[in-house]
Formats: sequence, structure tokens, C-alpha cells
Amino acid sequence: MSNSPLSGAGMAQAVPARPAPRSFKRRSKRLKAALPYLLVAPAVIYLLMITLYPGVYAIIQSFHEVKFGPWKPVGFANYQKLFGDYQFWGALWNTLVMGSIALVLQCVIALALAFHAYRDPWVKGWRIIFLVPMLFMPSAVAFIFKLVFLDGRIFSDILIRIGLIDANLAIQSSTWMSRALLILADVWQWTPFLFIIFVAALQGQDEEVEEAARLDGASWPAIFFNISLPMMKPVIAVALILRAIDITTMFTNVFIVTKGGPAFGTETISYFIYRTGFKFFNFGYASAASVIMLILTIVIAQMVVKRAFVSARS
Amino acid sequence: MARIELSNIQKKWGAFWGVRDVNIDIADEEFIVFLGPSGCGKTTTMRMIAGLENPSEGEIRMDGEVMNDIDARDRDVAMVFQGYALYPNMSIYENIRFPLRMRGVPKAEQDAAVRRAAELVELTDYLDRKPGALSGGQRQRAALARAIVRQPQVFLMDEPLSNLDAKLRQAMRVQIKHIQRELKITTVYVTHDQIEAMTLADRIVIMQSGAIQQIGTPDEIYNDPANTFVASFIGAPPMNLIEGRLSGGTFEAPGIRVEGLPGAHDGQVTLGVRPEDCRVTAEGAHLGGDVYGVEPTGDVTYLTLKVGESLVEVKADRAYRAALGQGESVRFDPDRIYLFETGSGQRLR
Amino acid sequence: MAAKRKKSRGENLVLRYLILCGWALFCVVPVLWFLSIGLRPRTEIITPTPIYFPTFSLDAWHMIWEDWPMGKYLRNSVAAIFGSVIIDLILAIPAAYSLSRFQYRGREDIGFYILSTRMMAPAIVAVPIFFLFRNLGLLDTIWALMLIYAAINLSFVTWIIRSYMLDIPKELEDAAKTDGAGELRILWEIIIPAILPGIITASVIAMIFAINEFLFTLLIASTPNAYTMSVALANFTGGSDGIIYNAIALVAFLAFLPVFVVVVAIQKHLSRGLTMGAVKG
Repeated sequence: MSNSPLSGAGMAQAVPARPAPRSFKRRSKRLKAALPYLLVAPAVIYLLMITLYPGVYAIIQSFHEVKFGPWKPVGFANYQKLFGDYQFWGALWNTLVMGSIALVLQCVIALALAFHAYRDPWVKGWRIIFLVPMLFMPSAVAFIFKLVFLDGRIFSDILIRIGLIDANLAIQSSTWMSRALLILADVWQWTPFLFIIFVAALQGQDEEVEEAARLDGASWPAIFFNISLPMMKPVIAVALILRAIDITTMFTNVFIVTKGGPAFGTETISYFIYRTGFKFFNFGYASAASVIMLILTIVIAQMVVKRAFVSARS
Repeated sequence: MARIELSNIQKKWGAFWGVRDVNIDIADEEFIVFLGPSGCGKTTTMRMIAGLENPSEGEIRMDGEVMNDIDARDRDVAMVFQGYALYPNMSIYENIRFPLRMRGVPKAEQDAAVRRAAELVELTDYLDRKPGALSGGQRQRAALARAIVRQPQVFLMDEPLSNLDAKLRQAMRVQIKHIQRELKITTVYVTHDQIEAMTLADRIVIMQSGAIQQIGTPDEIYNDPANTFVASFIGAPPMNLIEGRLSGGTFEAPGIRVEGLPGAHDGQVTLGVRPEDCRVTAEGAHLGGDVYGVEPTGDVTYLTLKVGESLVEVKADRAYRAALGQGESVRFDPDRIYLFETGSGQRLR
Repeated sequence: MAAKRKKSRGENLVLRYLILCGWALFCVVPVLWFLSIGLRPRTEIITPTPIYFPTFSLDAWHMIWEDWPMGKYLRNSVAAIFGSVIIDLILAIPAAYSLSRFQYRGREDIGFYILSTRMMAPAIVAVPIFFLFRNLGLLDTIWALMLIYAAINLSFVTWIIRSYMLDIPKELEDAAKTDGAGELRILWEIIIPAILPGIITASVIAMIFAINEFLFTLLIASTPNAYTMSVALANFTGGSDGIIYNAIALVAFLAFLPVFVVVVAIQKHLSRGLTMGAVKG
């Protein structure tokens, strides 16, 4: 010990001598076992407050008639009315139709763009440019689409100038044109979301596999469809699910651009709940719709989302 | 500085046995090496000594005190990891100082200790750098400095040299042994490299599938292997193991005949002989075969013979050359022939 | 033959740039239109025939700052958003640490529960949340916005940070343990500094989502007292005046600029953040 360089003259003071009878600290086993739970608890409690409480509240409220006065228990009346309400089913249908068209368009466009961009020398530049629409406030985007297509009639004017049509398009009175407008706005703003993810996935794939395929004589499209795309499947699944969640909750654009019109043709579930609750103050009825949506969400989450996230990780 | 006793240590994960029935008594100031192929349980055993894993059964004692319930952070052991595990966001100086800071060593003393440790591993000029700006060998030494800075009871080293190139490995080996001898700290060293084990260890513990195969000094392990696993794991090229029949002290296999062996083990046996205990000569030959390959290394020439259905490796003179297919005879050193039970691989004495 | 093979293996560059430039134009033109709306007088916005080359005017600029308390809305937005991100980080970092570095019963289920709150449509909980905040007396306050933004983003932030924590080699933690550090010490001194890029990414994405949030903000902030930029925009309909497009466009553009700068700065981490860590960019 005395000839150790660390315990030489200078070291004797530098490192304190260990106490002769060693006593080891014994820490509480119970605290140790509880620690991970204690760490995660605040977040879980917070989320329970914001999900479980409203969930229970909505379930209770859905069995009451809640207008301005006190709550009046009505049993399943709200649900009965809901199942016979063509506006509710219409809203569900609109959400599904607009959502799936928008999702498919975004996915195809984003894949095509990513396929062409990821090997491009200016891929960084493309990423930045394509990102721009995503970074505008959705409410502002909604206004600009409203201005270009409805109030300002700019779209119609351009088509007239080119000579494609003779008179202004009556978008507001056509269900399908109104839906197309909402879809277009969503595609414009959110295709970048998928594009960014797809490009990253393509750039992250093993170059050696690609090079091997090229040496085997495969063309780029062949590589893309036979190698890249199958490898990207889990990533595509996660990205589409995240996008699908946001699309099916579409509210902002409906609220600003079409107000659900014409004749409820573009009313989504979110807008339906908002309208019954906060426009007609029929809160019990709105809660019943919320509960149905909640159940659908939980079922889909358990079935699809869990699997997608597990497979993407592994 | 500390004696470590492991008694009846078991580690199970579900139905999988990581470590079974390990008993070792590590003396104070001893340099002990756990050697074995990957997955043999050597790292798990070390991690149990560190307190990073808990044994399913058995006791770990340091200087007589049971350590099973003591947290890793309270055990006063220092560990050097295979990937060095330097904290990427801290400078080398801060890395080395970290264990002192965690143990509440007064600030003024920390600096002196860090500088001493850095000096010992020749890293004084690199203290301000981040680990990312260092070469592999320098990172290795930084990890070493972080372990020695607080003079722990025990050093644990988990394949610390496996990420270095051969030349650097040799230099670091010498340095590690030197530092251990100077500091006189009990050291447990895990490796799959037999050269490291032979050169560093006071005693080697050879493990396979979670169980200890043999414990002994490098000489004992080399000269007196307990079974075929140990015999073939130590030595390069490995020991030749030839199956055959033993009757009345005579071993026979196709192309091989050895007389004058102990006669108590008649029946099917495995004969073991190291390439370096073989000599190419027709005089008193034990073996005859055809040349299968010749590998000159400059220092020596390795000759592979095809004998019956098996290949036998022989260490020949550096000038030895032969044509493929040529017939050749070999004599074994009669004092260095081992016999093993064929089924279990246990040594027959 | 050789030439043909070469061509089929390479890719048609004309097609590539046609597609990429086309989409770039589609992205950028509406943005430029935005800008041209923001910088023209109100009289040139809605006209019998659209005006493509308007007179330059700072009407909207003056209107925003002089006629409206835009400074106050901006302060509201900033306070609510930063407050919510701080709440998120305080809750998410320990939670992510627990989910990524410990083994315990129920871990996967807890992790998935946190993730699944992201799937909840705002409209579903809008009614109860509205009553909750009304009963707490928090309607029309920035506090309510802060709490709700934090709740919306918590799952995202937790999962992003968890993904970055999973990347830290276990050895580092073991080293810190043998060096004498406790679990919280390891989190604070080793893990947080090592995943700082992840924390920043998560914060930026949380901020973007908070800026974008509309429905709750609309319900909770019903008077200018707690208006944020995004809801203030929706209320720029100015009653009898109709929608004041040039002010909306200008505000949106001004809000876009800082977001754009920040996002370009964290570009490398963006894809990973957007997928909650499922894609490593």
C-alpha cells in the first residue's frame, strides 16, 4: 500500500482513508421497488384527470338531458335518438369519406415525393421547402383556402382565364366540391408530415442492400417496390396511424371554411359534437356522441395502434 | 484490499440458467480472470459481484460480509466496461472525477486525485477533451483512470481490451497488470481471449454454459487440464483430441498407436496431445499420416496431418516444409499425453 | 443494348425534377399569396375580379398593433405554450425514464396508456373538459390553456424522450451505479445531458402542436382576455366588417417565421419526433 503511487505522500491527503470497520449502507427495498412507479405516476395521474375524468363525466352526462337547467335523467333516450339521427350517421360517413380520401392522397404523394427526393443531392433543400405548409397555423391555412376558393374566387378566376370554365364555380353549394376543398387543404398542409418521415426512413435504410440490388441489375423503381417499400411497412403504418388520428378529428377547417355545409355535407364527427353541445347547448346528447366515439377510439387503439407501434420498434 | 467469496451462486432467468453453482474464493490482492466463450456466464458472474445483477441463489461476501443486499453504488467496487462507458457529455477530467464527487470526497482533494490517476494512465494532456475526441486506446485509459481514481476495494474489468487492435491490446495488457500490482487491488477480469488470461492472471477460472470447468494458475490450467473443454480452450493451436481404444496401457486408433500408458482405464477413451508436444520423426513414432496442410509462420511451421478420418496438428521446426499427400510420422512427448473419458470429457488420471 | 440497360437502371431526372419542382411550387405559391394578402389594403382583397398585383400597404400591420391588443394575444400564446411545455417536461422526463430504464410489472400497459391518450379526439372530451374548467373557475384564463396544451402533448413528449433514452447504452448507467450514483442522480447527470437533442425536439414539436390547437382554445378562451393568436385569428371576422383577411394573413405569416427557423434548426431530429420515436432519422 505504501508504494502505491495513489497513496503516496500527496495522495495521503487527497483520498481520505476508508473507515476501518466498513459499514455498508442498506437502502429501503420497498422504496427501490416503488421508484419506477413513483416516477411515472405524475404523468399518469395527469392524463387520467384529462381522459378518465372526462370519460366518466361524459358517460354519466349522456344518460341525462342537460340543457340550461338541472340534469334530468333520461336513461338511454340520448342513445336511442342518436342511432336514429341521420345527421350523426352523416357526420360519421363524411369523416370516413373525407378522411380516407385525404389519407390515401397524402400517402401516395408523399411516397412519390420521397422516392424522387431521397437520392437527390438537394434533399435537404426539398425537405425545408416541402415542410413550409405544415408550419402555418391550421386556422390561418383554413382562411387562406376560404379566400382563394370561396370569398375571393381566385381559383374560379384562374380557371376562367385559362378558359376551362365560363362562370364562377359554385363550390359552396356543391357537397363534393366542398369536400374536395377540405381534402385539398388537408393534403396541402399535411403531406409534408408523411414526406419527412418517409424520406428519413428511406435515407436510413441499409445502403449495402441497395447496392447489392443494383449490382444484381435492379432498376430504381424495382428496388423501391421490392426492397425499400416492404422494409418501410412498419414506418408507413405508424405514420399513417398518426395522420389518421388527426384527420378523423378534423375540426378547424370545417369550422372556418364550410361550417359543415352545404346541408351538413361536410360535417365531421368533431363538428357534430361541437355543434350539438356548444351551439344548441344539448350537452347530454353531445356526450352520448362522445361516448360512442370514445368506444370506437379505444377499440381501434387496442387493435391497430398497439400492434403498429410494437412492430415499428422491433 | 478485499477478499471475495462466492458460494453456491445461481442465476436463472425464467427457465434459462445463466450461472449455476459457482463457488470461488478470491484472495486479497489477487488478479483473477474469468475465461470462457461468449454466453458462458462469466460476465453475469462479474455483474453479480458488482451488484448490477442479483443472484437467484447463493451468497456473495466481501471480507466476510454478505453483500447480496448492498446496492452497486455502495459496494465500493469499480468497473471498467467493454465499451468504456465514458459519460459523453463530460470532459475526461469530469469523467474521472465523477466517482469522487458521488462519494462526497472534498472538492480540494478531488483535483489532486484526478491528476494522479490521469498521470498513471498518461492522459494528463487530454483532460479537457470530451470522450468523443479521443482514440480508442485513450478512451480505454480514461475508463481505467476513472476506476482507479477512488482506490476501490475491487476492480472489475469486463473485456476491457476487446475493442482495441492487437498491438494496442498488448501494450494495455502490460499497463493493466503493472497498475494492479502497484495498487494491490483485488481484480476480477473477464475475457474470452486466452492470451489475456494467461498473461494477466494469478488464477484463471474457466467457465462454460454457466458452470465453472476449472480454477487454477495459468500453469495448472495449461499443464493439467481438468477436461477436454479446458484442454481445447487453452493453447493455440488447440490440443489434438483423438478418440480410440485403450487396452492394457496401449492406445489404438486408425494410424495411431501409443504404448506405455496407465492401464486402469481400458475401453473407449480420448487421447489429448498438444501440437507443441509433437515432434516430426520416424524414430519411435506414435502416429503416421499424410500431409494435409503446411502453415509456415516464420517462427514455427504448423503441419496438419490427415490420420484416418481426423486431422492432427503438429508444431514443426521453422524450416520444415513438405508436399501435400506426403507420408509423415510423428512422435508424442510421452510425459505430456492426456487421457479423457470419451463421453463426459473428464480427465482420466 | 448496353446504353438501353444503363438508362433503365438510372432514373429519369427530368421526371424527378418535374415532380419535385411541381410540388415545391404548390407548397410555395399559396404562401406567397398569403404574403401578398397581408401586404395589401383591405379594399383590394375581395373584389369583383381578383387583383393579382396589388398596391403595397401596411394597413394590416397598423391594424394589428394599433386597433387590436395583438401584443396581449401574443403574450397569452407565448405564456400558455411555454408553460405547457415546461409542465410536459417536468412530467414526461421522469415518466420516460421509468418506462425506458426500469423493468417492472405493468410497464408496457402504462406506456401504451400514455400513448393512447394521443388518439383521443379533442371533441370527445371537449364537453366534460369545458365543464371541468368552468367548475374550477379557470375558463378564460391562460392557466386553463396551459393545462390543456400540456395534456394534449404529454403522450408525444413522453414517447419521444423515451425513445431517445432507450438509445443510451445500459453500460453507461451501470458505470454510474458502480461509481456511486443513485437513480435520480443518473437521470440528472448522465441521461438528461445525453438526450438533450431529444428533449429539444420534443419541446419544439409540442410547441407547434400547441400553436395549432384550435378547438379547446376556442371553447376555453371565449373572451379576448385569454385569446391566443390562433383564436384571435378566428375571431377577426370583425362582426359587420366581415373577415379581415389581410390582418389574418399577416399575423399568420409573422407567427410562421419563428416556427420555421426553429424547425429548420432541429430538422435532423424532426422525423423521429413526429413519429414519437418510431423512426430514427
